[in-house]
Amino acid sequence: MTQTTQGPPGRAEMSDAEELWYSGKWIDRVPQWVSITVLGLAMLGLWWLIAELMPQNLRILLAGPADTFEELWDTTKNIVTGGHIAEGLWITTQEVVLGFLAAATLGFLLGVVVGETRLGKRAVMPYLVALNALPKVAFAPVFVAWFGFGVNSKIVMALFIAFFPVIVDTAAGLYSVDADTVMLFQSMESSRWQTLRKLKLPSALPFIFAGLKTAAVFSVVGAVVGEYLGGGHGLGELIRLSAQTLRIDRVFALIVYLGILGLLLFGLVAWAEKKLLFWHKSEIFEIQGTG
Amino acid sequence: MTESTDRVDRAGQESRPVNAEVARITDLSKTFHRRGVKALDAVNLTLDHGTFTSVIGPSGCGKSTLLKIMAGLIPATSGEVLLQGRPVTGPRQDIGIMFQQPTLLPWRTTLQNVLLPIEIRSGSDAAQARSAEALQLLELVGLEGFDHVYPHELSGGMAQRVAICRMLVTGPAILLLDEPFGALDELTREYMNVELQRICRERDATSFMVTHAIPEAVFLADRVVVMSVRPGRIAEVVDVDLPRPRTLDMMTTPEFGGLVRRVRHSLNMGTEVGGQA
Repeated sequence: MTQTTQGPPGRAEMSDAEELWYSGKWIDRVPQWVSITVLGLAMLGLWWLIAELMPQNLRILLAGPADTFEELWDTTKNIVTGGHIAEGLWITTQEVVLGFLAAATLGFLLGVVVGETRLGKRAVMPYLVALNALPKVAFAPVFVAWFGFGVNSKIVMALFIAFFPVIVDTAAGLYSVDADTVMLFQSMESSRWQTLRKLKLPSALPFIFAGLKTAAVFSVVGAVVGEYLGGGHGLGELIRLSAQTLRIDRVFALIVYLGILGLLLFGLVAWAEKKLLFWHKSEIFEIQGTG
Repeated sequence: MTESTDRVDRAGQESRPVNAEVARITDLSKTFHRRGVKALDAVNLTLDHGTFTSVIGPSGCGKSTLLKIMAGLIPATSGEVLLQGRPVTGPRQDIGIMFQQPTLLPWRTTLQNVLLPIEIRSGSDAAQARSAEALQLLELVGLEGFDHVYPHELSGGMAQRVAICRMLVTGPAILLLDEPFGALDELTREYMNVELQRICRERDATSFMVTHAIPEAVFLADRVVVMSVRPGRIAEVVDVDLPRPRTLDMMTTPEFGGLVRRVRHSLNMGTEVGGQA
């Protein structure tokens, strides 16, 4: 047993253990930025090679790295100077962010209902499972018909695709609460609301954040699918037009910006998760030595 | 519930505390109708102030069910539990409970975890006001200076000490311990048993512990209640008259060995009878 005169054990012990565990593999002795850079360059080379080897008449179908980077530069200039791509990016950003926020709010609330009430578990959940199994993008034309060609139909599409993982993970998080701790709360005469607020929701947070991260990625998918099928002036529409005129280099450049948008939203959620879940590290649940 | 508060503190003396009854279990039975299992059958038991009672029995003998009924967490089918003269009909502030797992909230510091029962019952302000008391408890269990540490920085034994503080903070009349050190390694477990004995003596606590380990049951208890299976009933009550404070060295004495043998024998009889029934 650790004597109480000692301070709390530091985190360094864990990384020591990790080091011992992995020291045999060469990939762990290379700094990670090196392995990432090397693999990235290799893939760029492969891309360049395939584009170069394309027969001349098919070359238009696959823009090489050089063409794409040149187009990316032009696209960036257009965005910085407030051109039509900047406008498209702004529209898509709004669709994605509003769709995500709506999905997060609605998904969380429904997830609590499903995870906390018997009715939700026994009656609502089966419908959600069935609905989740449907190909959700197939609903895009319906939303266009209902909400028009403007941003609204895209927001709804983003919401529709993104809110399932939030519901399911929130409910799963609430189910996962430790039974003994629930009993402890009962023994403290905790009200249902207190147990939810002080035990179940904090316990469910790691699950909820997993759902939110999926939702961040899915909301970009939803907005772009909505734009492909419902027009408008967003990046999805610009990509569709570029592809129609076989400007594959521009398609790639615009996809890079969609990727940045998705990554930013994902990163924001991951950052919030890190701030809130300081207590939830993978090593916390490792059995620590009692010696 | 009158005599317990103004009793003269006898901690440190070798004499047994005066026989003030804290809890009385009368003809307690529990049947789980859905599974058709009679978990407890006519259990009678009296717990006197300042005594430590261990309950031991094979899996499925209903000892955990008994503890949960005493805690007011599940209702009895018939019979009753009287605690400080009042029947237990639900969870109460004068009941302290502790489980095999520390069940600490990982997002709360040690101090916040200890104060949780106050916060749930009386709000954050009330909990804040009791901080000094909670810090004293942490000192009692040897965790001074750990009040702002989060559970993941504590060892298993330390976490269970925090759970002890959380159980004591409401000043319960009875401590219900459900295999409290069952998840710890053997050495830590023995050490924690010595610690628990010290804490119970200092607080003059009335304790009721469910366990699987015979030496642990004997080491801590004034009385070992041996239960048999299907239906769960009391097979034998073994009085442990070893002097206190008990030390780990005493576990190798013939007297201790004799008591362990007696409990084991009683356990074997109970299992056989249960098996034939």
